Amino acid sequence: MHSLWAIVRNTLSQAVRMKVALAVIVLLVVLLPLMSVVMEGDGTPLGKLQTFVSYGLGLVSLLLCILTIAISTYTLSNDLKRRHLYLVVTKPVRRYQIVAGKLIGILILNGVLLAVFGAIIYGLTLTIPKLVEIDSVQDERIRAEFYTARSGLKVTYDEEQLRQSAEERFKMLRDSGQIPRDMSHYQALRELLAQERLIAKSCPPGRSKRWDFGGVRLKIPDDPDAMIFIRFKLEATTALPDDTIYGTWRIGDLRQIETGLDRVKTPIYEVQRDASIRTYHEFSVPANAVADDGFLSVAFFNNPSLNYTTVILDDVEVLFHSGSFTGNFVRSLLLIYVRLAFLAALGVSLTTWLSFPVAILVCLVAFLAGTANTFIVDSFDGLGVAMGLIYNFTLRPVLWMLPQFDGVYNPSHYIINGRLIEGTFLAMTVLMTLFAKAAVILLFGMWVFSRREIAKAVV
Amino acid sequence: MASDENTYAIETIALTKIFPDWWGRAKVVAVEDLNLQIRYNEIYGFLGPNGSGKTTTLKMILNLLHPTRGKAFVLGGSCDNPEISARIGYLPEESYLYRYLTARETLDFYGRIFGLPREVRNERVETLLEMVGLAGMGNRPVGTFSKGMARRIGLAQALINDPDVLILDEPTSGMDPMGTRQMKDLLAELARRGKTILLCSHLLADVEDICDRIGILYGGRMRVEGPVRELLQHQDQTEIHTGRLSEAALEQIQDILRREGHDCDVRRPMDKLETYFINIVNKALQEKQATSGAGVGTGITGFLAERPVVRSQSLLDQLVSARVAPDEQPSASTAAAEKTKPEPQADKTLLSRLAAAKPDAETGTDKTDAAPSEPVEKVKKDVLESLIERKGKSDGSTEATRPQDSGDERNA
Repeated sequence: MHSLWAIVRNTLSQAVRMKVALAVIVLLVVLLPLMSVVMEGDGTPLGKLQTFVSYGLGLVSLLLCILTIAISTYTLSNDLKRRHLYLVVTKPVRRYQIVAGKLIGILILNGVLLAVFGAIIYGLTLTIPKLVEIDSVQDERIRAEFYTARSGLKVTYDEEQLRQSAEERFKMLRDSGQIPRDMSHYQALRELLAQERLIAKSCPPGRSKRWDFGGVRLKIPDDPDAMIFIRFKLEATTALPDDTIYGTWRIGDLRQIETGLDRVKTPIYEVQRDASIRTYHEFSVPANAVADDGFLSVAFFNNPSLNYTTVILDDVEVLFHSGSFTGNFVRSLLLIYVRLAFLAALGVSLTTWLSFPVAILVCLVAFLAGTANTFIVDSFDGLGVAMGLIYNFTLRPVLWMLPQFDGVYNPSHYIINGRLIEGTFLAMTVLMTLFAKAAVILLFGMWVFSRREIAKAVV
Repeated sequence: MASDENTYAIETIALTKIFPDWWGRAKVVAVEDLNLQIRYNEIYGFLGPNGSGKTTTLKMILNLLHPTRGKAFVLGGSCDNPEISARIGYLPEESYLYRYLTARETLDFYGRIFGLPREVRNERVETLLEMVGLAGMGNRPVGTFSKGMARRIGLAQALINDPDVLILDEPTSGMDPMGTRQMKDLLAELARRGKTILLCSHLLADVEDICDRIGILYGGRMRVEGPVRELLQHQDQTEIHTGRLSEAALEQIQDILRREGHDCDVRRPMDKLETYFINIVNKALQEKQATSGAGVGTGITGFLAERPVVRSQSLLDQLVSARVAPDEQPSASTAAAEKTKPEPQADKTLLSRLAAAKPDAETGTDKTDAAPSEPVEKVKKDVLESLIERKGKSDGSTEATRPQDSGDERNA
């Protein structure tokens, strides 16, 4: 253990005295405050905050990732190349301890740097609203949508049921000979399934649509000021003169009406809301609409006296406070830390058998692939059967090993929208990225390193 | 195998290293069927021209390279066992030290790897810096050191764990004559304290001065192996050292020799340049002239070998008998004016002097032992005396021509 810590300490002083870390620190210390002043976003205080946090976290993540790649690929390969390891491996230290020591050193450095820059961004984020002129409406909005951590419950549809009804309709249409001749079974079914999905989301004039949500767990259940938010996007099936749909929403525990109680325990709110189509809208009602067991219904009524079109309710989501901004911010930093840890493990592991230039190249490719992971994986999903088989056994495992830094793994996305990074999601990310992928890579590196001839001439 | 573990500090069995080319075909046979057997408490000199496989052998012993065939044992086990490597000190052919660490941090780092407690570590770091003559430069990064200074730190790191076995690859390369001399004295003293030393060098004078046994490697094969004295001694020649003689006396001696049927060659003995150089530097030191380079180290530090070397009882006897012979010789040389062997005298006297500085010293053959102060002082006195008395303290190497014949019989 003591030898491990000796390696850790040495790696740290190596990184510090290499001055790469210093360059990153200086760059960030200058850039972050500058960004907080210069960045304007869409002109509103909320926009300024969102832009700053987004770019700030993005920049810190990018620079620390590059720093991690540089140091992790440099430290072990340099020790090998300059033969420093002759004097280390001949001492009572296991080879895997050297690899682990290097990694832990980088992880500590990363942890410290990330904590420092996270704190700077956090501090600036809290300071920005105080520096700009802000009215009470904007202040309210920032409080409700930015300095918070909200969870969202989305409307989901039972895919299995949709598939079944698509099958039934297919059978019906086939029996009555209404399936076009040039259409294959697969094509027809796909078409019908798409139709079913659309039907499930649509609401004709004069009709209403209702969704029930369970598990709306507020952060503070009895807070009288707490609000819940309904976020939605509407589409119309026909062209509208003013591109606006006039809808009536009903929010509350609608079970109370079904059971016919003469008196309701929790209030049911009715909201009139005219909304332009194809953009997201949000309105709020007091949180006491939620039943004690976390049940909440949202109903939309397509008023025939105001609309004549069928409305397609694309994304309906219930948002509610479920965490604090600070806690969420820390979680977003943890997401970044997972990236750094993965890259550090990859870099150190690669240099147990690759030279510095090759290792850093592979690391950079992995990093870039990680930032475009969704795009890459998606682009391979449309392959034919034969190619698909080859892909499944060759490229797919490699792609699986790649880290995921984009999409849901991008922390800025959560902080900007005030969305809570779920604990289970974070835990799963840590588990998959670090304890599955990074661990496999690291163990491989340790295995190679413990068998390697340290004094083997490298040309 | 059990007996092997106890008999030898370092042992290799049919050790072979073949470096393959890119296709995996044998390309260079660096070491071939090498059977080394280095006993405990022995200074073994490993000689050979460049590329003869010395360093490759050391690297295999230290598990830095994997043997193609054969095995290497140190202290009865493999070097990748931490329990074994904790008892080994290694100085590679160049001091591969972290350039960004200071001298003190460097030693501290290696001390930490050995898991030395803080107090022990601090104490050893300071004494070792003192010993290798870099006490004033502890806070300078090693990257700014000259080769010889880095070498001194390299030696210090090899000693930080108070090793039982020292494996040194070209220990004196890049060192100034003072450092070389100190290194040799130090090694002799370490061996006296029970360390086993495997020394690899092509500076023949160094090896000759201190080694008990040598092996000469060529093309990866052991050519000759045996005790230094046995290998170098001329059985058919005699050397006489005496004071200044008159022409008449010389004539008489030559007459006697002619009657015996021998020719003789008369000359004045010369100082070794090493001795002369050390003398000059010591003079400067006494005048307290400032230097930014390495100073002169002190004698051996106290912590080394407070711990006895672990070995079996039967082996002790062997070791005792091995050490008796060299201890006897100085007294023999003073008693008898006629000396048959070219003794490495300068080194011997120093060894005994160093030993005398210790309370448990047992040799008291030299006059200079009466005033043991610090080693620097002593070296100087030794040199001065030899200058005044014209007492030829020449090493065997300056006088003796290398025996051409002795090699064949002892071919390994």
